[in-house]
Amino acid sequence: MRVRGPQLRSLVVMIATALLSACSSAAGDHAVPVYRYVVSDRPAPESQQVLRQRLVMTPRSLDPSLATDVPSIDVVEDLFEGLVTLAANGRLVPGVAKSWQISDHGTKYLFRLRAAARWSNGKPVTAGDFVYAWRREVNPDTAAEDAQSLARIVNAQAIIEGKKPPDTLGVTALGPHTLEVRLVHRTPYFLSMLYNAYYMPLYPPAIRRWGMAWTRPGHLVSDGAFYLTDWVINGHLTLKKNPYYWDAARVRLREVIDYPIPSSSSALARYLAGDVDLVDTPAFPPSDVAWLRRALGAQVQVAPMYATGYLGMLVHEKPFDNRDLRLALVMTLDRRVLDGKLLQGMDMPAHSLFPPLPGFTRQSPAWAHWPMARRLAVARRLYHAAGYSRAHPLRVKLLYATQGVHTRNYMEAVATMWHQALGADIVLWQEQWKVMLQDIQYKNAKLYWSAWVGNYPSPYTFAHQFVKGFVMNYGGYDNPAYQAVVRAAVDQPNRARRYALYGEADAILNRDAPFIPLYFYDSNQLVKPYVAGVEPNVMDLHLARYIWIRAHAVQRQ
Amino acid sequence: MIRFLLRRLAWAIPTLWVIVTLSFFMLRAAPGGPFTEARRLPPQVMANLERMYHLNEPVWEQYERYLGNILRGDFGPSYVYRSTTVNQLIAQGLPVDLTIGALALALALLIGMPLGMLAALRQNTAWDYVSMAGAMVGISVPTFVVAPLLILLLAVKAHWLPAGGWSHGRPAHLVLPVAVLTLPLIAYVARLMRGSMVEVLNSPYIRTARAKGLPERTVLLRHALKPALMPLISFLGPAAVNTLTGSIIVEEIFGLPGIGRFFVDGALNRDYTLVMGVTILYAMLIIAFNLLADVLYGVLDPRVRQR
Repeated sequence: MRVRGPQLRSLVVMIATALLSACSSAAGDHAVPVYRYVVSDRPAPESQQVLRQRLVMTPRSLDPSLATDVPSIDVVEDLFEGLVTLAANGRLVPGVAKSWQISDHGTKYLFRLRAAARWSNGKPVTAGDFVYAWRREVNPDTAAEDAQSLARIVNAQAIIEGKKPPDTLGVTALGPHTLEVRLVHRTPYFLSMLYNAYYMPLYPPAIRRWGMAWTRPGHLVSDGAFYLTDWVINGHLTLKKNPYYWDAARVRLREVIDYPIPSSSSALARYLAGDVDLVDTPAFPPSDVAWLRRALGAQVQVAPMYATGYLGMLVHEKPFDNRDLRLALVMTLDRRVLDGKLLQGMDMPAHSLFPPLPGFTRQSPAWAHWPMARRLAVARRLYHAAGYSRAHPLRVKLLYATQGVHTRNYMEAVATMWHQALGADIVLWQEQWKVMLQDIQYKNAKLYWSAWVGNYPSPYTFAHQFVKGFVMNYGGYDNPAYQAVVRAAVDQPNRARRYALYGEADAILNRDAPFIPLYFYDSNQLVKPYVAGVEPNVMDLHLARYIWIRAHAVQRQ
Repeated sequence: MIRFLLRRLAWAIPTLWVIVTLSFFMLRAAPGGPFTEARRLPPQVMANLERMYHLNEPVWEQYERYLGNILRGDFGPSYVYRSTTVNQLIAQGLPVDLTIGALALALALLIGMPLGMLAALRQNTAWDYVSMAGAMVGISVPTFVVAPLLILLLAVKAHWLPAGGWSHGRPAHLVLPVAVLTLPLIAYVARLMRGSMVEVLNSPYIRTARAKGLPERTVLLRHALKPALMPLISFLGPAAVNTLTGSIIVEEIFGLPGIGRFFVDGALNRDYTLVMGVTILYAMLIIAFNLLADVLYGVLDPRVRQR
């Protein structure tokens, strides 16, 4: 195996993780002192209503139009609120909009805004603030990376391309509290996108006055449950409760402090030292789940997430233009072994694309239920039919990113399974993240590790990556039957029928195998027993407005 | 002296220019760009971004523009921290490193110098062996071993100190990172000090001073100390830059908001302007501290002054 460009940081993290876990496992489970928390059902006094939580990285920008990375979005969602928002369990609930009507065959939306919605300076949130924000998002001068997410709105595409001025965007303030949105065509998942950062309102005077610096503490005006009071890049962010928030009466936290801690071993140390109350996904590598569960019990929370890990393939080029070969590779991998031994049961074995979603029935391929011996026999037959054998094995490079030990172990296991069952000759090739992305996007990689994280709870977010012409269809899969089913699903207003169509799409992908499904992600977090209101949800989003601190005492065991 | 300073400063300009030019073109030669993300950007959006940051211009024009900007002290906007300029990032991160680095350096000198001198004076005694063996351990055990161990013992087990974070430099947050940075430095300083002190104490002029009947204190502080400091100063020039600009490993482990992490993250994210800004800052500091070391040579050694 060749390893290219090991990065300093992951090396350090690796060694630090190894040391920490060596220290903890060598001396048994009692090496790490476990504090016992005596927790009551009552909330702690207001002075103690402070949540200290870890962010996976330092946020890049708190400007909702520019926030595209996970930590920025996490903070922006505590600071701002869109027309709709998510409940603690991840369900879509009204936000700044208290109600809406959909007309003109699903292309016209009329939102009624809450009169009580206020910015953190006490000024009312108006329909004009949404118009301003959405026009700014698609304005080429903003160069927003997520601008394309608004493309369903009339004229958005032309504005992004610079062919029309931003004020032609199909969004109008009919009054201070009435907002009309016109779409190019019916979009059943439109409402479920509206909680995202790029659809949040902005306070125009702050941006006009401060320019790029408007997101600094003291300048930033937000309409969510919290506002920003301190931000040291790579250090911490402090958010205080917004007294003007329309639902402020039900927000119990007085303060939220976010600490960006990229290394999960450092995050674990700070959690165990009692500096941090909540460590979000990924809180620990799979190899640590067993001893952490023994040491911390219910503080370790693992729940399904709306994300799939898989191997991508370049399907319009040799050797992966051959469906028999692809199926042979898909069927050979014993996901129970991969999941049980390598991921320690932390993620769920995947045999198809769409992760579980309430109301949606996944279409597992028939072979997923066969005994392994039968699967391997069929896989070998397909492998031979594709023209390969032990004498003429498939030789190919499997590309993945430098991301720590467990990814490498996983890839080694995959390559070994193919080698043992089929005799395939797999070269593992590790690259730095950005180098790997470029190789995939320029189609230099034939077989590569990849993952897809849904950014709104609809199967469409997974389906469109295999639609021909879509910018992220890196493998180049092109099946008119699949595209017809996905298009029919998009136009289907009835949810049950729509999900049935996505089920058909799932089945087509199972037959064609344009990718190799591996696992559905689980979120994994560490939550102190006195932190209440953190409910597992597939979007892995935990808004601080639902979280509160229980009255508690700490006892050392 | 003034001519010497001016000549050295004049040399700094081409040195910096070479560093700026090399890093500018090497960064752009690395695969992937600042906006290469997992979710590939649509071509129109990419075009808007490149226009905003002048990445659509020929590389030579970008280079010219960049040189003009840094001459005016403007390192430009960060490509990754999109609401922040590189100047703001450095202004926020550098004081963190300076605080921790200056404390570590001062402690290292305060502890390491007397330790080395004592070892030299009591050569081949138990005191000498123990302190030098301790110094060897301090040098050989890497930071990424010491730091997690101290965290495990003092933060996770004893709950005496926080395991990381900065909190605007509250003293409790300084203790562990300063300790981790200081330990190997003490060791280096003590060993260098012992070595040069032993050499100086064996030289003829010290014998003369003692023969004159000067008290041992005067012999040591007036005649032996100054020349014995020379190797230490050669070591401290680059060591001070390293310590003051922050250790990437220490920043990473303790979650400190210093500029060392900008250097690594900037390079991994292809944040061209941020990496350039930090590189130029490092280069300027190295030039400045080497110059300072040379000036100190002159102060301590008349022979250097005459040249």
